[in-house]
Amino acid sequence: MAQLLQHLINGLAAGTIYALVALGYTMVYGVLKLINFAHGDVMMVGVYMGYATAFAIGREARGSFLGIAAVFAVAMLGCALFGFLIERFAYRPLREKPRLTALITAIGISFALSYGFQLDIGFLPGASPRAFPEIIEPKEWIIIGDRDVVVWNWQVISFLIAVGLMVGLQYLVFGTRFGRAMRAVSWDHRVAALMGIPTDRVIALTFMLSSGLAAGAGLLYAIKDTSVSPLMGLYVGLKAFVAAVIGGIGHVPGAVVGALVLGLVEEFVVGYAASTWRDAVAFGFLILVLLVKPGGLFGRVAAEKV
Amino acid sequence: MSANAQPVAPASPDTKSPPALLRADGVSIQFGGLKALTDFHLSIQQGDLLGLIGPNGAGKSTAFNVLTGVYQPSQGQVLVRDTKVNGRKPHQINLLGVARTFQNIRLFRALTALDNVKVACRAQTALHQSRLGLGAKLVNAGHNYADWWKALLLTPSFQREERRLTAQAEHLLEVMGLSHRRDEEARNLPYGEQRRLEIARALGSQPRVLLLDEPAAGMNTREKADLMVLIRKLRDDFKLGVLVIEHDMKLVMGICEQITVLDHGETIARGAPAEVRSDRKVIEAYLGDSYLESHGGAA
Amino acid sequence: MQSPALPVPEAPSLVPPALRGILPLLIAIPTLALFHWSLTGSDFATYLLSVVGVNIILAVSLNIVNGMTGQFSIGHAGFMAVGAYIAGYTSLQLKEVALSFLPVSASDQVLFMLALLVGGVAAALCGFLVGLPSLRLRGDYLAIVTLGFGEIIRVFVQNTDAFGRALGLSGIPQYSSPGMVFFWVFLVVLAARRLAGSSHGRSLWAIREDEVAAEAMGVDTTGYKVRSFVFSSFFAGIAGGLFAHFVPIINPGSFTFVRSMEIVVMVVLGGLGSTTGAVVAAIFLTLLPEGMRSLFGALGTEGSLAQRVDQIRMPIYGLLLVVLMLSRPQGLFGTKEIWDVLPRWLPRKRRGLA
Ligand SMILES: Nc1ncnc2c1ncn2[C@@H]1O[C@H](COP(=O)(O)OP(=O)(O)OP(=O)(O)O)[C@@H](O)[C@H]1O
Ligand SMILES: [Mg+2]
Repeated sequence: MAQLLQHLINGLAAGTIYALVALGYTMVYGVLKLINFAHGDVMMVGVYMGYATAFAIGREARGSFLGIAAVFAVAMLGCALFGFLIERFAYRPLREKPRLTALITAIGISFALSYGFQLDIGFLPGASPRAFPEIIEPKEWIIIGDRDVVVWNWQVISFLIAVGLMVGLQYLVFGTRFGRAMRAVSWDHRVAALMGIPTDRVIALTFMLSSGLAAGAGLLYAIKDTSVSPLMGLYVGLKAFVAAVIGGIGHVPGAVVGALVLGLVEEFVVGYAASTWRDAVAFGFLILVLLVKPGGLFGRVAAEKV
Repeated sequence: MSANAQPVAPASPDTKSPPALLRADGVSIQFGGLKALTDFHLSIQQGDLLGLIGPNGAGKSTAFNVLTGVYQPSQGQVLVRDTKVNGRKPHQINLLGVARTFQNIRLFRALTALDNVKVACRAQTALHQSRLGLGAKLVNAGHNYADWWKALLLTPSFQREERRLTAQAEHLLEVMGLSHRRDEEARNLPYGEQRRLEIARALGSQPRVLLLDEPAAGMNTREKADLMVLIRKLRDDFKLGVLVIEHDMKLVMGICEQITVLDHGETIARGAPAEVRSDRKVIEAYLGDSYLESHGGAA
Repeated sequence: MQSPALPVPEAPSLVPPALRGILPLLIAIPTLALFHWSLTGSDFATYLLSVVGVNIILAVSLNIVNGMTGQFSIGHAGFMAVGAYIAGYTSLQLKEVALSFLPVSASDQVLFMLALLVGGVAAALCGFLVGLPSLRLRGDYLAIVTLGFGEIIRVFVQNTDAFGRALGLSGIPQYSSPGMVFFWVFLVVLAARRLAGSSHGRSLWAIREDEVAAEAMGVDTTGYKVRSFVFSSFFAGIAGGLFAHFVPIINPGSFTFVRSMEIVVMVVLGGLGSTTGAVVAAIFLTLLPEGMRSLFGALGTEGSLAQRVDQIRMPIYGLLLVVLMLSRPQGLFGTKEIWDVLPRWLPRKRRGLA
């Protein structure tokens, strides 16, 4: 029983992180109908920005609240800028081209980033994973029984940050003018443009938002894993994508639910079956969901306008 | 060549006339909150030449999409010769003898005109073969794979089949006056010819019902008139039932025997051209209420 | 009703129709055997030639899905892995078996062919399992699912003793030869070209051009997509089987995402839809790193740059994709074949696809 509870907690903690990344896929898919393959790698770049900041401000500062805030701020802002640049120079020129072109571009960017960062030329970090500084020192916050169930402080903190970001996002999408514009673009970006909505700006902002969120999530993931590596983007990104599809891509709450489900499923596989199978589970699960419910749990296979 | 066209289901017992080739029974469809089509009824028999008109956004193309299985109706049913086809895929409905063209031309742009038609012709032979396959899915699948091997080995039967397809497609190009474009890529054809190529392609699938979505759009008056004559000829030569969407009232009135008028997804009138023309609701829908007010009622 | 329109341009037939299908094979086999015998000496040349051949098979087969059908698979290495492991495993099991009525080398080749086919069929089966759910949906799902499939295969192999876990499978008999590899190269090119020109191929092109219209014209789009995927996976499996029989060891590291991407880049560079484009790009991209290596080696820059070639290659592939999409999305040849784009002095085939 206690073990079950522990797995539940771990699974939810992992799931919230996936959820933040999954939201990025879903938002970009919403406005552009593009699976932003490079999303996970953009996240990875953000994590390295945070990593560099943590070192730059030194050991003392990074433990303080301000230090942590600085790490997150630099990573998220830097990553937002990076996302903006990619959208501006790689995706925007292809917006009216066949969808495959943009998809191939996204795959190309993903590949260039994840393998480019493995080089050790110039400022690039090289292939081997690096220890991520403990900007949040791990503490056991809640201990039930004889260490039957342990909740770590970073689990609580990352849960809170993730939930806070999601609530903020929900407000942004459904409670603000920008959100309304975003939803209009998502419905039909050409018509939205005719209605006087600055689609270019909305799409760019969506990219920035999703990249920023991803950087935040990536940092939480790095704190949990205590490491960064160039390939983390590929793995976390893929799983988040799977989560988004399970929830129904383009569906915001669906992405969150899908991510939580995936986090739990992975955790239980690791806990009760074999940890070596963990990376295969997500995809097996994806294929299963696509077989049974092609649109995902909440999404529908939308009728293309003919 | 149209062995598949023989009705399979027995005709409904109470009527002497054969079942409608294509029938919509109280079909409705919604997109979000938008009722694009409400309680739509329609029945097409062989030899019919029907018109479907209505202002922009009235739901005409949506009706086509529901009839051909591109959209699933939220209510009501679509029947092909008394077989319910709700939930079937568009290609299955096409194989039952319902072919269409698209309002915004959807040719296979990089394929030659001939190949465009051949694609449709070919799909029909797939039907014959799948019928041979005893209906069993597995047998069918096996058959399909075997078919590929025939192509790879260039078996004589495969080569015969290819020649037959070519001849058939060439014939259809000729009927539509496109023989001189045989080997040209579809995207390089002028607009009017692209529209005609779409019709040729639809005919390639050997339909019994032909649905034409604004076939004359973008043509000049002469071309339009020619096209309408051609459509009537196609109906007679190929023994079709035809349903045409067209904006040009004069034209529709000229050739259609019965006209259905849609507005905001609702059927507001149906009948012979003369009746429809003088229908108050139709005039309202087309010209707005203000027109009626200032002109004091229907003419 | 028959029209007397343009006569069908039949090639004047010197060959009886019954032979037309297999004639190329009858010519190719002795030619390749000759080619095989003439190739003596340098192990490295043999190896390089085999790698080039395997890459051609991979690129041409991937082009059937990504180019002709307009879907996008990025997990081709996964199917290659299935073929390699299954064929390799089969050969290992059959190592002691010999067909007594044949000379030893002939018996080996028969068993090798058997192993290859088993591997190819296994890969095709996996293609079916992966393709069916994802090909029912919009194109981009296939990309993700195939990528995930590669991961599943990797994890599966790493957890299976019979496949040597992470260490890999070694001791597979080295039956392969450039002759055999190029026999399959020949087969896959022939198959792809014949498919492209057949009514089936036309349906695939139609799906690529406009799925909605193809469906409306009676093309069972899902069925065709799955079939093209199965077809393509089969040849990927064969390529894997060949590969397993000329490298000393196969392990999960030989079939990673990087490998898949390499093949994708070949297809995109050659031109999505061009079989000969895929061939040219496969040859070019396989020899380029070798060329660079020997160039840097000859320049004598401490050898370090020469070793880095493999590392640098990958991000460059990624950038190459981006640059291609932005500047020349149709790749080298677009959907045309090499003889359509070569200068006038070569006789041209008729225009249009296939
Ligand atoms: N897939 C879809 N999703 C959402 N709305 C749709 C879809 N298809 C059609 N609609 C809407 O349904 C309504 C009817 O459209 P439809 O295309 O049937 O009109 P139409 O009568 O063909 O008009 P037109 O003369 O302009 O072609 C329109 O408001 C359209 O925006
Ligand atoms: Mg319309």
